[in-house]
Amino acid sequence: MWRNVAVIGVGQTKHGIRREVNVAEMIGEAAWKAIEDAELAPEEIDAIAIGNMQGFGGICQAELWSGDWFGAPGKPLLRIATGGTTGGSVAQCAIYQVASGMFDVALAIGFEKHSDSKEPGATMGLAHVGLANFFHLLACGLDFKTSLAWGGGVGAAAGVSGYQAANYMHRSGCKIEHLDMVAAKSRSNAAKNEYAHLQWPNCTVDYIANHPRFGEIVAYPLRLGHICPASDGASAIIVAAEERARSAERPAWVRGLASCADEENQMAENAQGVAVTDSSEQIQCKIAATKAYSMAGIKNPREEIDVAEIYQPFPHQELIYSERLQLFDDGKAWIPLEEGETQIDGRLPIDPSGGVLSTNAIGSSAMQRVAECALQIMGKAGQHQVPKDVKNAVAHGWGGSTNFTVVTILGDTPRLRR
Amino acid sequence: MRGKVAIIGYAQSYHQGNMPMTREDMVFEVAKGAAEMAGITREDLDTVINASNDYLDGRTISELFLVMPMGAYLRDYTKVEMDGAFAMFYGMLKILSGTHDIALIVANTQGSTFNPHQISTYMLDPTFDRQIGVLNDVSMAAIQARMYMNKYSVSEDEVAIVSLKNLGNAAKNPHAHRRMPGITIEEVLNSKLLYDPIRELTMSPISDGACAVVLATEKKARELSDNPVWIEGVGSSQDSYIRNRNLYHLEGLEKAAKRAYQMADIKNQFAELDLAEVSERYAYEELMIYEALGFCEKGKGGTLIDSCATFKDGQLPVNPSGGALSADPITATGLIRVVEAVMQIRGEAGACQLPGVWRALAHGQTGVCAQSNIVYILGGEY
Amino acid sequence: MAKKERKETIAVDGIWPVGSYSYKAPELYKELLEGFKQKRIIGSLCTGCGMVYVPPRNICGRCWRKIDTRASVSDVGTVRTFTISPEMKRGRTKILGVDPVEAGWLKEGERLIMVYVNFDGTNSNYTTILMNSKPEDVHIGMRVRAVWKEQPEGKLSDLVGVEPIK
Repeated sequence: MWRNVAVIGVGQTKHGIRREVNVAEMIGEAAWKAIEDAELAPEEIDAIAIGNMQGFGGICQAELWSGDWFGAPGKPLLRIATGGTTGGSVAQCAIYQVASGMFDVALAIGFEKHSDSKEPGATMGLAHVGLANFFHLLACGLDFKTSLAWGGGVGAAAGVSGYQAANYMHRSGCKIEHLDMVAAKSRSNAAKNEYAHLQWPNCTVDYIANHPRFGEIVAYPLRLGHICPASDGASAIIVAAEERARSAERPAWVRGLASCADEENQMAENAQGVAVTDSSEQIQCKIAATKAYSMAGIKNPREEIDVAEIYQPFPHQELIYSERLQLFDDGKAWIPLEEGETQIDGRLPIDPSGGVLSTNAIGSSAMQRVAECALQIMGKAGQHQVPKDVKNAVAHGWGGSTNFTVVTILGDTPRLRR
Repeated sequence: MRGKVAIIGYAQSYHQGNMPMTREDMVFEVAKGAAEMAGITREDLDTVINASNDYLDGRTISELFLVMPMGAYLRDYTKVEMDGAFAMFYGMLKILSGTHDIALIVANTQGSTFNPHQISTYMLDPTFDRQIGVLNDVSMAAIQARMYMNKYSVSEDEVAIVSLKNLGNAAKNPHAHRRMPGITIEEVLNSKLLYDPIRELTMSPISDGACAVVLATEKKARELSDNPVWIEGVGSSQDSYIRNRNLYHLEGLEKAAKRAYQMADIKNQFAELDLAEVSERYAYEELMIYEALGFCEKGKGGTLIDSCATFKDGQLPVNPSGGALSADPITATGLIRVVEAVMQIRGEAGACQLPGVWRALAHGQTGVCAQSNIVYILGGEY
Repeated sequence: MAKKERKETIAVDGIWPVGSYSYKAPELYKELLEGFKQKRIIGSLCTGCGMVYVPPRNICGRCWRKIDTRASVSDVGTVRTFTISPEMKRGRTKILGVDPVEAGWLKEGERLIMVYVNFDGTNSNYTTILMNSKPEDVHIGMRVRAVWKEQPEGKLSDLVGVEPIK
């Protein structure tokens, strides 16, 4: 039997290049902000879930060293790491910690400090995902040009996403102009979000497409302006069981959650083959979304969901995933985009926070989607609060080689009515 | 607890120094093995949780290419980047939430990929400790061992007896990596000195290995299994970083154990536990673990081992399987302790089997000098 | 947005030369390379679900079993997706610390067309280069054929790329 759980506090650090804090201080910042927002005493936290992609910052299990900064000593702690979905998986871990009945209040933190590493950022640094495979290919006599092809010209996430974009554009009405639109919307929205990284107020399609630097096509069809930044940042949420949550002013109740893993995209261990020919199909997102909506009792997402925070480090992914989250028809998400429906003041705002396109501290990114949905329901999103009543919100994340998905649905009423 | 959770299937690999198998094949075998024992198909897996570490595997998102061999295709799925015993805890939480009935937990590390002792330097404070250039998990263990032995007048001999016991026990364990039948104390004391007083035979070996368990709700367990092993209690706690805590005692483990004992209503360890499987990366650690688990008073770990109470035929056998000193595939080690305890309770421990085992303790740890610990109390059917 | 005055922490540089990794690979790839020597592509066929994987794969995650059947694969296929690099210029970018134009790996002004090819009868995409084609002409659905090295050596580079079928 489900135990009602709600988000009662959110904390975020400013995301960007943070050279004035070290990673422990940064994590502490987000955790303490969440604790204050939830009006808790730190002793009330029963359990902690935390995660990041440890390869980027060069610290193995950073929460062991930095635990003192966020009140970990003496508490049960789980470290979760699942690629891009990490933040979302961490949030779900905290939710299960409370839903299980073993704990009443849990703290979830997602973080990343890309600037601590000399690697050129999240997108290209992700080459380490397949590095072992590359070594194998090279050992088998792979030539240089083809090795570039394996990386899509720019390296793992961007490369895989470039191929995915071409697939998507082929079978839908999406054109490069639509990618420009999503990017412009994201960066403009980010300017209203004090914690976001790339804040370009009133950013236009023209700016993205014709800028001498950002307009350049890096790997068809992606421009430089379509690529997410590599940010430093941490975000945290506090989840609590019903009895405790009721004392919060307007808790964001967990209505449904799910995760799902598909077969790897492009290649398997040691570059073996995979039976996936269209990486834009994203069948596992369909499955996770269906499960989550069913749990939430949502039968008609496009009418019942008021705001969506979609994990889109590349613009075409906002369109693909909004379709897979059943918010728009397959292949047609570009139409509501053109018509302004997904703008911050539109019928179904997508990524009013600016999304991952504007801010990408990998371990934090999928957590921020959940945190932003909670803020919208709580009415605490400040300048980027959507000007409508928010009853239900969906937070999404993708990870791996676009084969992992997490979906979390928050609402203004608990899942189980008494 | 809001319900009961049982272990209804398990599998472990034959742990060794350099397994002639890719990690994909290694994971496939244990995942399938556990599912087969539990009598379930891939479609029955409501959730799959992996425990592996990016740094140890040399692959960012270490579980990415293990999804398929683990049976997680189109299933709910996540990774706990800690010892596998913690991953099992997450599986338990998901089942108790009522959203999943069956969980598969798979833990794997191939230590032959990259020396885990060098990886341990990445766990240190990067701004200071790492810069000194002399600390890693072995030298830290040496420092802690020296502190403990000095404070409580524990001799090197007493520490060596732990190795004698565990490596001797391992001789009967076909899954163990390091089996040394007829091992003598001289061999242990003359083994290669690493960081004084840590020696090769008082430290766990670097192993390749994997392990899997299947968890189920009470209803499913009764449907599927004649021999479920119940998780009666669990407790975990992360302690402070090495420089910020008292290294004379494993206080974090003590807290974790207390939580587990409370949940399982254990008041007298010697009377109520039939054995314990603990993760002793270092021989001296096992003595400190006795104290933290309340098997003896603080500082009396040496006395306890001297009394032979924790030997196979003693009052409270510890590590009849050989423990981590016999096989240490880092992220799999704690889950292997759970499996070994389960085998004993089910009467499936072969040559290592002890008589009349009904209730056992299993322990897993993560972090330098056992910083984060988890303790389970497992019990069989009446 | 105005730039804030930033205080720097003390920078602590670190390079930790801890050593190299030792990965393991299955022997499976040997079969692929032996096939390449004969200008043939080998895939693995799962008899449970019928999926044909290229390059060969030894575990089918759908059926959760080992694959031990091999299939000879057509070297004619369809482009399933593609991406095109910008024009390569000297000094534009470094890959693994090397300027590819400087090193002669790529020509000045060259644009690489990288494609996923679904060879007929398989369920996988094979990643490779599209040759003898202009960037404007590449499209999803384009029919292509493998281009082999004159004297294959049993290496991945034996399959130089694919070219459009006239």
